[in-house]
Amino acid sequence: MEQLLVILHQGQEDGLSKANLECLTAAKTLSELLGTDSFQIGLIGHQLDSVLTLLGNSGASKILKVDAPELQSPRYGSDVAAIAALTKSSGANLVLAPATTRVERCIAGACQRVGGKIDTRISGFSIEDGQLSVKRWFYRQRIEGTLTRKARPWFLTFGAGQFEPMNLEPNAATATDVEVAFSESETHTEIKGIQKPATDTQTIRPDANLLFVAGAGWSKKQGDGQIHVDQAEHLIKAFLQNSGASLGSSKSLVDQSHEGAKVLSFMSHLNQVGQTGSTPRHPKGLATCCHGEEPHVVGWRFIKERRAVNTDANCGWARGKADVVYVGDAFEVMDLVNKLLEKG
Amino acid sequence: MNQPFERQVMQADIACVGFGPATGGFLTTLSRNIMKEDGSFIESRVMPGMPLQVLCYERADDLSFGVSGIVTRARSIKSSFPDLNPEEIPMAANVTEEEIYYLFDPHGASRRSKPLRAMEKLLKTLGLGRKAKHHAVKLPMIPSFLEKHPGLVLSMGQFNTWVGSQIMGSGTAQLWPASPVEKALIEDDKVVGVRLMDQGTDKNGKPTETYMPGMDIHAEFTVVGDGPVGAVGRQLDQTFGLPEGHHQREWAIGMKAVVELPETCQLKPGTVLHTMGYPEPEIFGFLYVYPDSLASVGIFVPSWMDCPNRTAYKYLQHFMKHPKIWQHLEGGTLRSWGAKSLQEAGRIGEPFLAGDGYARIGEGSGSTNVLSGSGVDEAWETGVQLAKGVLELLDKGLPFTRENLEKTYVSRRRKSWVESEGRMAEKARNGFQRGFLRGMIGMGMAGFTKGKLGFKAKSQKTYERVPSLEEYYRGRIDDSTLADLKKQAEAGPTPLHELIMDHIGWPKIDFDEKLIVSQQDALLLGGKVQAPPGYKDHVTFKDTNLCMDCQVKLCVAVCSGQAITNGENGIPQFENEKCVHCGVCFWNCTQADPNDPEQSNIHFSAGPGGLHSAEN
Amino acid sequence: MSNAYHIVVCGSLVPDPLQTLIPQDGPTGPTLKNEMMLPVVLDPWASHALYEAGHLAKQHPGSKVWLVTLGPKAKLQQLMMAIAQKLAFDLVVIDGPAGGFTDACDLAPALAQAIEAIPGLEKDRMLLFGGCSSASRDAGVTMQLVGESLGISNQFTGVDVLNVQADGFEVHERVEGGNYQVSQFKSLPVVCAWATGNLPEPPNNPQTGMMNMRGIMPAMQKAAKAPAPSGDSHFLDASVPQQSRETDIKKDMTAQAIAEEIVAWIKA
Repeated sequence: MEQLLVILHQGQEDGLSKANLECLTAAKTLSELLGTDSFQIGLIGHQLDSVLTLLGNSGASKILKVDAPELQSPRYGSDVAAIAALTKSSGANLVLAPATTRVERCIAGACQRVGGKIDTRISGFSIEDGQLSVKRWFYRQRIEGTLTRKARPWFLTFGAGQFEPMNLEPNAATATDVEVAFSESETHTEIKGIQKPATDTQTIRPDANLLFVAGAGWSKKQGDGQIHVDQAEHLIKAFLQNSGASLGSSKSLVDQSHEGAKVLSFMSHLNQVGQTGSTPRHPKGLATCCHGEEPHVVGWRFIKERRAVNTDANCGWARGKADVVYVGDAFEVMDLVNKLLEKG
Repeated sequence: MNQPFERQVMQADIACVGFGPATGGFLTTLSRNIMKEDGSFIESRVMPGMPLQVLCYERADDLSFGVSGIVTRARSIKSSFPDLNPEEIPMAANVTEEEIYYLFDPHGASRRSKPLRAMEKLLKTLGLGRKAKHHAVKLPMIPSFLEKHPGLVLSMGQFNTWVGSQIMGSGTAQLWPASPVEKALIEDDKVVGVRLMDQGTDKNGKPTETYMPGMDIHAEFTVVGDGPVGAVGRQLDQTFGLPEGHHQREWAIGMKAVVELPETCQLKPGTVLHTMGYPEPEIFGFLYVYPDSLASVGIFVPSWMDCPNRTAYKYLQHFMKHPKIWQHLEGGTLRSWGAKSLQEAGRIGEPFLAGDGYARIGEGSGSTNVLSGSGVDEAWETGVQLAKGVLELLDKGLPFTRENLEKTYVSRRRKSWVESEGRMAEKARNGFQRGFLRGMIGMGMAGFTKGKLGFKAKSQKTYERVPSLEEYYRGRIDDSTLADLKKQAEAGPTPLHELIMDHIGWPKIDFDEKLIVSQQDALLLGGKVQAPPGYKDHVTFKDTNLCMDCQVKLCVAVCSGQAITNGENGIPQFENEKCVHCGVCFWNCTQADPNDPEQSNIHFSAGPGGLHSAEN
Repeated sequence: MSNAYHIVVCGSLVPDPLQTLIPQDGPTGPTLKNEMMLPVVLDPWASHALYEAGHLAKQHPGSKVWLVTLGPKAKLQQLMMAIAQKLAFDLVVIDGPAGGFTDACDLAPALAQAIEAIPGLEKDRMLLFGGCSSASRDAGVTMQLVGESLGISNQFTGVDVLNVQADGFEVHERVEGGNYQVSQFKSLPVVCAWATGNLPEPPNNPQTGMMNMRGIMPAMQKAAKAPAPSGDSHFLDASVPQQSRETDIKKDMTAQAIAEEIVAWIKA
């Protein structure tokens, strides 16, 4: 009989982040599928009472916590010790966790510490012949694999957007403390704080409804034979502000900034989407001035609704990669979009 | 950028420019003889106590990115590898079947001369046309000069990789891809080494913050095997001139796709099909079948096809869709795509084969046989010959002077089959200067008389041949319609050559998203074309006033990757990340270089990047 | 302690970005069709780790860089031609399959073992670098597993900056929302699993290449063999999902009409 433990953690804000709540749903769903109908929660952080007030209706059969000042901020050494201790204490053989940066920093280390095996960024699971199998993406979302493991404990992490975040009516829960004695080496790193990136416009918004992708075409010569990067910059900046969209870019546009070509000043490699960049999961995506070839579209696999603006009716987007392609000039269209959004 | 960056210098014994069959033959032969059985070795003169320091610089990002669908008798290659089993090399097979087809035009859109139409009518009257399945007629026999059996079909990329890994494994030579050579270093008419391209510059060559000047590699001996459009080869041609009566005015663009054949295809590995007649009479085509349901299918568009609108990609698609070819390809998938220039002057294009400190091998040295249409084995053989010459000189402790190289390399070459067969082929293409039928007759004459008979030809520079669009389409499109089409091309996304071809009756090509795809899709999905940032543009326009006045802009139509497009004020613009380095631009340019009438107004040099497809 | 570091970089090859990848069944699990023919590059994030290592080593004389790589020898030889001109390093090779379908839990111990066996490696000078995840398996676990096996309890993931300071180091790791978590630590060893960093790719230096090659060929010959798969991880399926939409191509709309439709869609 599989024993589930779901690791949750405190974040920057009060309460539990969306990713944590989604993972809670995953745990509940999996426990139902497995027929155990029960799972434990393992909580890490400091001054966890505010989190505990949410978990009374979570459906967990038991809540364990490591509540220590060492766990105030994410740190590999202390987080691994805490998660390992929770796993051992719970007796769980299936350990679930959200694929947040705090977890991704340390979960494999914790798994190794307790002699387990791990598969991360799970996109789905099912039970076949009583056996749990999981799905995950390989080769940057190009191939989907289904696999199973015999060894236990088996650690699984879940990427955002796979499950609905659990809706918790506040109701205080009690938790059992798990004591951990942190060694000097586990805690010697000092966390100084959070820093915003150097670029002056905050353009990465993973929780935005819309991903706006600016392709290399913004910096190319336009119909009048001129380059209009300043105008491009102004249009894109205004759109991001008006719409609250997150900004993505193709690799070529980011690369151009290394070549000294005039490109969007607020673009950095953090915005890069696609083969070597990030994999966003916004519900909507609008691609402008990019061609839509398969390798460049790979990073879009999780964007649900896709539209593109391109002067070429035969671009890659038009052939099965987008829902709608508007054949038109992005400079013109985005200018009008901005005016409409500004009007409200 | 206040102080000049110091250019570093490195010493080697032998520097090679370009890695292809010729340099492969050279290094395979050389590397086998640097270490002796008794543990001694040929000592380096620049690093005493160490073995000979042999370095090869290849511009492409990997050895597997070379382009060609190859069918070869492989005499020299098999001599270097007596136990060669094609199964050891991916995409290789023994030639099993050879056929040549004449393709009729099912649509009537091509440009056929009256004599050619008469010949086709005759064929049809003789019943061959009526019985002709798939609008094609098979030649009853393969002329011996074209026969490749016993031979191999090979993928250039996989062959290069196979050869390269053995050379690297020997530990006696180093192969460096992604290392374009800017130029040969010449002092007092002696080649003293090579200079690599500057890195960390913008498109115009201006240093950025990551600037590193290209290193100078000083070497006693430089082997130039950089192909027919190689920058160093052409630099040497321009510096030292060509031998009397030689020219390099004949070219072709070879463009091909590697296709995964549909399950229904019956063709066996080792099948070799050659075609002529479609999509234009001047365009020869081929289909070679590899193992594992792969095939290479392609065309050659020659410089003597005087169409100012010639564009290989569209022609390749029409070729693939010809019923005779399409019966094998329909339902297939594009695996790879590429293009390269071929030097079609053959022996007449041969430069000075050796000079003080250097020697030329391979296609850039005029080794391609333009009668049999083969070049790979010939290139390999010239590399082997040079290696033998070099080993002789090293053994005797003699310097790499022109005289010594002539005695040991050039003399070997002159006595070899490369030379004798090349001489037979010298006149083979002359007839084509005046048209397809004459060309076929001329080729036949040269072939069957072993070169004794053939047409004389007064060759023209390529830019001298190309007529204006109005002239070429006279009788088929009137000037005002042409003017309208030009306006349409300027306003919209469809290029002029496509609008013209649509207008004169070429059927619309419907993309099937698997094999018949847009040119940009072929570039990305097929060719996987990529270019690293930080290098200057390797295609530039010398005198932009000439571009502004040019009404033909053949460079735009002919560019294999659509990397050259119409720019502001009539000056074409170049996007290096679409370039496949085929070199077709510079020999198609219709404007002469104001400083050198043998050259055109486009400067084409080496750069990194380009094709990244290994199955080719 | 002098600032001469021992920087060990773990990284392996992945297919060149634009290659077509088709999964197929293999004897021990899925592989890629024509895997041995696919052009390869060093994993992009591992590459950055390697360049950061080179940069750090250059700034601190006496430092040394090792590249520990697990992959098929023939492909690694090709890979070396592409990276050996970038920076000076010693190579340690483990010969075995390196695809995305291999199990990190099987291979990490082999990497750790190879690192332990590096002659002259001093753990208290050691920085263990790698990519934060790969373009093949994309799991983000290998560096942690290797680090844990080596007893390193100080690890950072998604690193873009590592600064050496007077009394230690400062690290910037990517966290949610495009922000960075800034940490400081004093002593080594440490594991840094890099994201892209901020350094440009080093130019090709033929001198460096020539020197590296002298060590690379012998390292290839000495390669240890990767352990056979444990079989614990078992694939039931590997496939390329078909994603084709019925695209509505709207050709004859005015820019105004397009803009209105887009705004309505955004607000919906």
